[in-house]
Amino acid sequence: MARSSYEYPGYERAGVTYWSKTAALYIIVTAGALWMTLPFWWTVTTAFSADPTSAEVSFIPAQLTIENFIQLFDRPDILIVRWFINTVIFAGAVTIFNLVFDSLAGYALAKINFWGREKLFLAFISTMMIPGMVTLIPVYLILVELGWVNTYKGLIAPLIAGPFGIFLLRQHFKSLPTALGDAAKIDGCNEFQTFYKIYLPLAKPALATLGIFTFMGAWNNFQWPIIIAQENAMYTLPVALFAVRNQYFADWGLMMAAALIIVAPVIIAFLAAQNYFIRGMSLSGMKG
Amino acid sequence: MATEDTDAPEIEHAQSGVDDITGGMKSQLGLTEDQNNLMGLAFILPNIVVFSIFLLGPVLFAFYISFQEWSILANSGTFVGFDNYVEVLQPAPIGIVDGNIVINSRTLTDPTENLWWFALRNTFIYAVGTVPLQIFGGLAVALMLDKRVRAKKAYRAAYFMPVMLSGAAAAVMWRWFLAADGVINSFLEPFGAAHNWAGDPATALGAVMLMAVWGGIGSNMIFFLAGLQNIPEELYEAARIDGASQWGRFRNVTWPSLGNTNFFVIVMAIIGAFQVFGIALVFSEGGPYYATTTTVLLIYQRAFQEGAMGIGAAMSFLLFILIFTFSYWQYKRQQSEEIDY
Repeated sequence: MARSSYEYPGYERAGVTYWSKTAALYIIVTAGALWMTLPFWWTVTTAFSADPTSAEVSFIPAQLTIENFIQLFDRPDILIVRWFINTVIFAGAVTIFNLVFDSLAGYALAKINFWGREKLFLAFISTMMIPGMVTLIPVYLILVELGWVNTYKGLIAPLIAGPFGIFLLRQHFKSLPTALGDAAKIDGCNEFQTFYKIYLPLAKPALATLGIFTFMGAWNNFQWPIIIAQENAMYTLPVALFAVRNQYFADWGLMMAAALIIVAPVIIAFLAAQNYFIRGMSLSGMKG
Repeated sequence: MATEDTDAPEIEHAQSGVDDITGGMKSQLGLTEDQNNLMGLAFILPNIVVFSIFLLGPVLFAFYISFQEWSILANSGTFVGFDNYVEVLQPAPIGIVDGNIVINSRTLTDPTENLWWFALRNTFIYAVGTVPLQIFGGLAVALMLDKRVRAKKAYRAAYFMPVMLSGAAAAVMWRWFLAADGVINSFLEPFGAAHNWAGDPATALGAVMLMAVWGGIGSNMIFFLAGLQNIPEELYEAARIDGASQWGRFRNVTWPSLGNTNFFVIVMAIIGAFQVFGIALVFSEGGPYYATTTTVLLIYQRAFQEGAMGIGAAMSFLLFILIFTFSYWQYKRQQSEEIDY
């Protein structure tokens, strides 16, 4: 806030230059914001339009209907409830595993003074440079061998730990005073109790950030589920949307209704907890 | 040790004295080095297991598979040497025949010649077209929102919304907006500019790029907003006193101060661009006429739709080398730049 006085200091404020600059700034920012948000508006109008033609949905449809959503539930090959549950199970399990594993590792890397700690941390962090697609084929073949294709296990297992979460939680635990743990140990806590009872409650904001971020990532994940979920009943929502697209191409009302079912929960969660999302995003920028 | 501190009453020593005292307490509590090693290992073991099975192991396994002709039914392979790599790379844009350098530019323009090079060309066009727009768009929005803009939070939310979107959902949405009878054409029609954007090989990749820029500006905006917060105000003050113009302040204060953010954002954007897959698959399935076939999409089609795991693994290794070389080059460049400031 304070910095803006340097960009637009008081003595320029009254002048014509200041006002025209401000007007230009608002026009550009608003135009950009419209470009970002109009597609969402068109998605909503198309999904609720009785006659989804371009003229009809560009602004406000003349006739509103929920027919497209009813169709989603009625068509026998569209298992929208099952897909929704699949996605909740997938994203939920991935999030819980990540929180548990990453907080254990993050704590150890920050607070337990064990042999090779810094080297191990570097090793974890450098795995972020491995592009995800290199491991797609081998992980798939391993899961074929295990018979985990088309199972929840197969969907969830490869994603249950990640370097980003370890990094984020390690930084957070490092910022907490060591004296707390020493005091707990004098009172008779062992290492795990110190972690669980003293430090973990203090890491709640970081855990919430990581949890929301991981959940969103898994909810939207397309690359892994499309490889491992090959049966209709095992699809997650993004994969299912691709299948619906292939089946009902050009039935835009139905497709936008399906897209809304993926998008709406994330947007609602974002509007409710905007700061966690923004924080998670900017923290993910710090890992570099 | 504590007595030494009293002998030499320096502030730094007082701090190390505290560490020594707690260190002493730890050993009194029976936390020996061995126990620490054991505890540390126990806490970190689940991650080591997961990383070995699903990350490091598979990278080695992928390397192995790339030299095999893999049978899906038996889930095992037979060694074929460099055959997969040769099949992927031949015919190449530049080759040596009888000691002469031969340039075969058709590999870059004709998808039937060699799809790998054509897909790589598409990916390059995609990266060159999207990455600068995503980065400078994100920076421009961050600079504008960092100023005295009312309802900053609402604007920030608006720009961030596309980031939260599943690529699959975004692709389906834009496919409809850009369809021949879609919303965008209804706006362009009065100007005679309506076009079947997704159905024309000349514009399909551009349509995917438009979608990627739309979805990529918001996250870069957040990175740059965070980076801008860390620039000390004194630098701007000093620049003003020296009479620096607005552009001068940006060029000499803002931009260099964002060094680390720039490095991270550029590397991430390019790594992301080279792995573009979902939006190209859902938007147009690589078509029309291979116009949106990117390298990872080609890997997916070869390995998972046609079952050629060895070819797919060879392709993914080639792409891995490309991405790694680039990241390493950027990293070295970043380090040499740091010395300048």
